[in-house]
Formats: sequence, C-alpha cells, structure tokens
Amino acid sequence: MTSSWRNIRAIAGKELRSFYSSPVAWVLLGLFGTLFGVFFAANLLNFLQASMSQFGGPQRPVNVNNELIGPLLHNTAVLFLFFVPMITMRSYAEEKRSGTIELLLTSPLKDVEILIGKYLAAMGMYCGLLAVSALFMSVLFLTGNPAWKPVLSGYVGLFLLGSGFVALGLAFSSMTNNQTVAGASSFVLVLVLWVTSWFVDSAGPRTGEVLSYLSIIEHFSDFAKGIIDTKHIVYYLSVIAFGLFLTAKSVDAERWRG
Amino acid sequence: MIEVQHLTKRYGPFTAVDDVSFRVEKGEILGFLGPNGAGKTSTMRVITGSMPASDGKVVVAGHDVFSAPLEAKKRTGYLPETPPLYPDMTVREYLHFASRIKSGGLSTAERTARVDAVMKKAHVDDMASRQCGKLSKGYKQRVGLAQALIHDPEVLVLDEPTAGLDPKQITETRDLIRSLGGSHTIILSTHILPEVAQTCQRVVIINKGKVVAVDTPENLTHQLKGAATLYVQVAGNQDTTALLSALPGVSKVTAGDRHETFSAYEIEAEANRDVRTDVARAVVQQGLGLLELRPTRITLEEVFLQLTTEDLMDGQPAQATGDGGAA
Repeated sequence: MTSSWRNIRAIAGKELRSFYSSPVAWVLLGLFGTLFGVFFAANLLNFLQASMSQFGGPQRPVNVNNELIGPLLHNTAVLFLFFVPMITMRSYAEEKRSGTIELLLTSPLKDVEILIGKYLAAMGMYCGLLAVSALFMSVLFLTGNPAWKPVLSGYVGLFLLGSGFVALGLAFSSMTNNQTVAGASSFVLVLVLWVTSWFVDSAGPRTGEVLSYLSIIEHFSDFAKGIIDTKHIVYYLSVIAFGLFLTAKSVDAERWRG
Repeated sequence: MIEVQHLTKRYGPFTAVDDVSFRVEKGEILGFLGPNGAGKTSTMRVITGSMPASDGKVVVAGHDVFSAPLEAKKRTGYLPETPPLYPDMTVREYLHFASRIKSGGLSTAERTARVDAVMKKAHVDDMASRQCGKLSKGYKQRVGLAQALIHDPEVLVLDEPTAGLDPKQITETRDLIRSLGGSHTIILSTHILPEVAQTCQRVVIINKGKVVAVDTPENLTHQLKGAATLYVQVAGNQDTTALLSALPGVSKVTAGDRHETFSAYEIEAEANRDVRTDVARAVVQQGLGLLELRPTRITLEEVFLQLTTEDLMDGQPAQATGDGGAA
C-alpha cells in the first residue's frame, strides 16, 4: 500500500464516517427515497394505464423498459440535480468555515490526496442515493420481467452523470466557506448545463451543435435507452476532470491568498 | 530548529509580515509576542506550511517548507488559534484520524498506544469518548494540543495555546509546554506577557509585521529599565520624602500610598549606582521601621508597550492589547 493511497483512504474514511454517522445522511436518503417513491408510483400508474388502454384503443406495443424504466431513469437524473449539491456543498466549505482545513493543510498530505479522498467520499455518499433508487427498481424485477441490459446501462449513465455533478459540486464547495453558497451555485450550474439543450433549435446550426454537446442530459438519453457510447463517456469524464481541476486550482489559489 | 529568513507575506497591497528573520535553536522555547494584527498568525502559517510566503525562506528541522513541504510537515505540530476539531468525532476518533494523516506508517496497535499516550500527556484521557463539539473550551484547546503532539514532531508551533483557559488550566498547559521544551523546539505566540516570562527562554516582539526586539525576557526588562528604581515602605504615616531625597545618588523620590501604618516611596537612583544600603541605613537611623525595600523592575508589559507604541508620534493609536495582565 503506497503512502498516497493510505492518505486518500484516511481522508475518504473520515468523510464517509462523519456523513453516515450524522443524521444528515439519513435525512437526505429518506427524502430522496420519498421523492423517488412518488416518481416511481406516478410512472408506474401511467404505465399501467397505457397497458390497459391497449385493449380498447389503437394497437401500440407496450414495453416496460421504454415506457417505464426509461422515463424513470430520466426522473432520477432530475432528482440528482437537487440532491448531489446537498451532498457536496459541505465538503470543503465546512472545513474552511470551522478551520479544520488547517489540520489537513499542515499535515504531510498532498493537496491532490485530499482532493481525491474527498471526491471518493462524495461518490460514496452519491452511491447511497443510487442504491435507494436501485431498491425501487428491483421491485420491477421481482414482479415483472424487464430487460436488464438497458437498466444496467442506465445505471452506468447515472453513475457517470452523478460523478460529473459531484466534481462540479466539489469545485464550488472549495471556492467558498459558506455551504449554502456552495450548494446553490453548484445547483444553478448543473441546471444551466441541463437546459442548454432547450436553446439548440433556436440557435444557429454551429452554436446549436455546441449547446447540444454541452447539455449534460443529452448525453444521458442514450444510456437510458440502453446504448453505451464512448462519446458520452468521454463527455462525462471531461466534466469530472474539469471539476477536479477547478477544485485543485481553487484550493491552491486559496493558499496563496491566505 | 527553526530558521526564518527575510520572511515577507503580502495579501494584495497589504504587507502582513515584513522581512522577518529569527532562529529558534533545538529544544528552545521561543515566545512570539505582538499585538493583534501584528503578523503572528501569518508567520506561523508560513512556518507550518499552510500558506506560502511571498518572499524569504523558512527551514524547519532541516527542511525548507517551500521546496520540501511534506518532509517539513512530518516534523511540525501545529495548534492554530482555533483548535481544528471535527465536532461530530469523539476525542479518540479525532486523534486516530490525526495520527493516520500525520504518521500513516504506524500499525493499529502502535497508533492506539500513541493516541493513548498523547491523551494522557494533554490531560484529555477522561474525555476520550466525548464528541469534540461538546467539550469545554479548555478541553478543546488541549485536544488541539494533543493533535499537535500526535506524531511526536521535532517542532511545535502553538498559536495562543492558553487562550480561553481558566487559571488552573493555564498553569497546567504552561507546565506541559515547559516540559516539552528540551525535546521539542517550540514557538509560542501569545499576548499574555507573564506567560512569556514564565515559559520562554527567548522572546521575539513583532509589531506591524516587523521584528522590534529579540532577547531573553530578563534582558528585555533590564535593558529598558533605564534608571534603577526602588520601592520602599516605611512604618508610620509621616513624610520622609525630604530625608530620602537628600541621600547621595538618589535622583528622584516619588511619594506613593500613604496609610495609617505605613507610607510608600519610589526612589530613582542615578545610573549604575546601588543606593539600597544608604536608603536602609538612613531610614533605620531615623528610628523608623523599614517594612520593605526592593528594586522595582519594569514589567515585560511595559517593555512591550514601549516597543510597540513607539510610533505613537505619527498620531497612530497604540495597538496595545487589553488583556496583557489577565493571567
């Protein structure tokens, strides 16, 4: 075990322990479960209605993957828009507010070890949310027989999407010592990235292409359909890299500013 | 050993630390004294590597804090002004975490032993399972100190280690710090002056980012004493000012408190002249009771005020601290 990995584990372990041993974690998971449940029930009812009307109305193929799981995965992505900033806002901002960041900065740790530790910990918290949603999904597998491959690719997509959100959230958390500011600004940024696709049609062809590429949700759609395309993976990886780079720079700049 | 050479720290146009140089020898306890905003904390942050210098060089235990930060940090323990505690961790968990990031190579058994040892040393072992956020100010401060000691560093940097403690805890903490001197090189910042006189071998006085004096506490008080002064207490409430003024070598006598049973005087002697024998003889020969006779030394507090308020002339108010004599 190299010393770097040991340091990363120490940081990540501390973050995860303090998250899961605090009520914050369980309130967040509970609220997420409630909201997800509401979305799940709504989608399920819609789906049931659609499959019932099949007998009376025009003939239409009903597929649990396309009509239920696909929309549900999109809804989940929307929920993460709200919930991921709540996970990441604390990360650096709280340490800066309370002064504990000085303990980390004066310990024999590299800044990048602190960063990766914090990132992995936030991912660990995010996976908690993913697990709650997977619990609901598993009900569909118990009672029906959906194709599992699109569900799996959907979760790969959610994982990558969330990884990008977490990286951007960390960046905002490292720029302020106020959790609310960190949470609100990362929410606004991911929301803006989300809605860029709305402007695709009204913008010119070139700009439209750029906007559509930037849209964080456009890249998710294929995953929800069961398609894993490297171009989308590259997109999310670059969002992660960008967020982490920004965080590293902001921590460094903060040192100089004092 | 700590070596600070021409250290300068600027925040934008504001210079917090201006060309500061000093050395702390191995095993020495150095007091770092100055009014609020003098640049103490900025200097300490640079020494501990939490912040880079704008200019100059700092070498800690043989390692440059800028070019070899990890090596320097392994050998430095730091207690910031506010102890960096995680409120939801217990004292034991917190110290385990501190040990994990400061001396990663230890085995679990070694780490546990180390945590137990520093808890005992800092007198926090009775609160081992209490959450840090629920501790009293005094305990927080001592858990912070335990954290600084966790990796047995050669160098300790303590930013106001006794701030917020009650008198008993202050004495305990000072004793602890004194006992750490010798095996550790210590820089201790404070604006409580008696603390420096009691714990430190040497003092650096800093004001507005500049070093104004470096010396032992004794020398500083001697050096600035000017004329030697004596405090004399004579029985009875008669006025003996005339008698004392007439003595050879006495330049000034100021009458102090006058009570039913005694009267007090402050006598200034000419430079390098010891008038104690003459004063004692004169009083006794007059048939008066000599109750007390002692040299009054200027306190470190007065030295401090004298040094840090010199540029009062420019119309700038003195930045003296109010709690100088609090201990």
